[in-house]
Amino acid sequence: MNRRTAITHVATMLGGVLSAPTLLAMSRREGHTTSEGFPMEFNLTESQKMIVEEVAEMIIPKTATPGAKDVGVPTFIVMMLQDCYKTPEHKSFVEGLLYLENKQFLNLSAEQKMAVLKQVEIDSVEEMKAYQIQQTKMGDNEDREQMAAQAKGLPFWRLMKELTMLGYFTSEQGMKSSFEYVPIPGKLEMIKMKPNQKSFAY
Amino acid sequence: MNLNLKSDKAHTFDAIVVGSGMTGGMAAKELTERGLQVLMIERGREVKHIEDYDTAMKGPWEFEHRGKISIHSAEEYWANNRFGTLANEETGPFFTDDKKNPYIEKRPFDWIRAYHTGGKSMHWGRQSYRMNKKDFEANAKEGIAIDWPIRYEDLEPWYTHVEKFVGISGQAEGWDVLPDGHYLPAMPMSAPERYFRETMMKKLNRPVTIGRVANLTKPQPWHTDLGRASCQYRSKCARGCPYGGYYSSLSGSIPAARKTNRLTVLHDTIASEIIYDEKTQKAKGVRVINQHTMAVEEFFAKIVFLNAGSMNSAALLLNSTSSRFPTGLGNDSDQVGRNIMDHHLGVGANATVEGFENDYIFGQRPNALYIPRFRNWGSDKKDFLRGYGYQGGASKSDWKRGITMNGFGASFKEDMSRPGMWTMGFGGFGEILPDPSNRMFLDKDKKDKWGIPMIVFDAAFGENELAMRKDMMASAVEMLEVAGFKNVAGFNRQDTHPGLGIHDMGTARMGKDPKTSVLNKFNQVHACKNVFVTDGAAMVSSSCVNPSITYMAMTARAADHAVKELKKQNL
Repeated sequence: MNRRTAITHVATMLGGVLSAPTLLAMSRREGHTTSEGFPMEFNLTESQKMIVEEVAEMIIPKTATPGAKDVGVPTFIVMMLQDCYKTPEHKSFVEGLLYLENKQFLNLSAEQKMAVLKQVEIDSVEEMKAYQIQQTKMGDNEDREQMAAQAKGLPFWRLMKELTMLGYFTSEQGMKSSFEYVPIPGKLEMIKMKPNQKSFAY
Repeated sequence: MNLNLKSDKAHTFDAIVVGSGMTGGMAAKELTERGLQVLMIERGREVKHIEDYDTAMKGPWEFEHRGKISIHSAEEYWANNRFGTLANEETGPFFTDDKKNPYIEKRPFDWIRAYHTGGKSMHWGRQSYRMNKKDFEANAKEGIAIDWPIRYEDLEPWYTHVEKFVGISGQAEGWDVLPDGHYLPAMPMSAPERYFRETMMKKLNRPVTIGRVANLTKPQPWHTDLGRASCQYRSKCARGCPYGGYYSSLSGSIPAARKTNRLTVLHDTIASEIIYDEKTQKAKGVRVINQHTMAVEEFFAKIVFLNAGSMNSAALLLNSTSSRFPTGLGNDSDQVGRNIMDHHLGVGANATVEGFENDYIFGQRPNALYIPRFRNWGSDKKDFLRGYGYQGGASKSDWKRGITMNGFGASFKEDMSRPGMWTMGFGGFGEILPDPSNRMFLDKDKKDKWGIPMIVFDAAFGENELAMRKDMMASAVEMLEVAGFKNVAGFNRQDTHPGLGIHDMGTARMGKDPKTSVLNKFNQVHACKNVFVTDGAAMVSSSCVNPSITYMAMTARAADHAVKELKKQNL
């Protein structure tokens, strides 16, 4: 199992005080116990920002309900990378964008775009495996600060997909239009699913 | 001599309680209800019940980073977030900035603190289990450390007393390993959990019960009298509950103490030393420093209760030196600061569950299943001592499952709006043996900005814990496999340290012999009987059950004893 799943489960075991959405991203910030300085400012070119928009909208398109762009996901992604991620992820994210720029992504037809992203998704499976092996090796080693700084970041596709989904499904519009939002359930009941049952969100 | 009698009077109380958390709140309640004028000293900021729960009613979109930790915050809260995301945007107000409150690690220690009214009772896991009879006897039987000076029977009435007041939901089961308490109606198990419970009993003879949790399922009059209402099943407890649905000092003991009109609370006030009177051979009060103005003041009382959290209570004893106690008040035995225990965790397994497709849950249960200790219990024998309990349960997966799945686009989006399959997982809480070399002490040279010596931690898991962890993972895997679940995966995190269980304890242990222990059987410092330590510091062994209810029971018992002794003029 990967470290993230482990953390999620373990944190749940701490007594259930932690809500699952907060636990998704910790595994790659191993290096934060000493001050190694904040990452360089994270800047994208205009064309790169447009690719982020396009890819986010392809992951969560506008349908009968709002899409990624409608709820501000592209801006959210850039802000999150700046605030919550360090150099290794900045590098891998920009690498992914450069790859798409080389493919002239923005000029492709809808079908071609889809084909390119499907390939990126397939490639990311191997990248993810390599990433997890690296993280496991890092473990609790004495020099993991240094290792973390030199480590390869999470693959572009994982970052893109995770941040798009997080940004969308926790936005007010995305949440309320996708799920049955119940901020104050008031009761706890074991129930049967209705036809077309949506997830409850709290 | 220029005595300011008025100010002296304003500085004199019957009792001083240091700390406002789980046990400080209980001490204040029990002492004020017995007629004492109590001064409670809290080092952190004031939090007012309900009105200061700033994040309680926010929607997910109102948190800038949606619960993730920014790099900036990760540096401020480095100990809180070294392993996970304890101090996130939702719960951060109830954790403590580690950068502003530094400590020293000779060996790593995850010191999780809560400097504000209510302390860690604001974000505790709320799981409330009694220690069993054998927990109190194990040290003596196995020749580990020292014997407890009390037995289960000594604490039994006090468990009942605090359980009723706190309000604990749970199921009485009649198992020796997990003595039943006084419970409100139990929360329901989900369909796969009911199947799991039956299967474990049938195939492995291992009991499974619903967690015993300090959330009100059916408030009693003494709960509603304090303004507490039923749990709303939001499971956002650690943000502070505007309904008072879970127990904290803020929702329970402090309001109860305030009702007596005998409680005074000082915030932003750090207790730096206990003032010892060489003539009377008693403590006469506490010296404090204002967190912001640095002003030093003294307060006086007949008795002092230390409830600052195990590590800070021990630090306060160590910093209270006098010619009678050159190495710290009550430290004749050199045991103050030693024998740090906790519960080790970060080990368990999870799996996916096939079937139960039509079952779902409405509401968020702030609770899980509990699998009590089965190792080295009854006829079971292993190559390590003691045991562990598991906590966990089943949940129906939500949109987050999509992050690791392939797929994107319109149909993927639609699919993510519906619940996925059930998953099930649990992790262990393991007993840690007392070891005098696992310790904290005060640095001789380095001081914090208030001029108080900094705490140094020097502790690690021992052989017994490491052996237990392997079994904790293997048994978790075994149970999920026996249940017939799929994709079973065990985990044993190597980057956890003592402290992470946030059950840190043992630094001023009770005992029969003053040569080997700090406190007597009523939590009084052996050689300074009007000082009581009733937080986790008093623990002689750790059991594997969540300890808060035991600390609270011990506190109520000690408070009762203190007042009786005061009446007999023995203190």
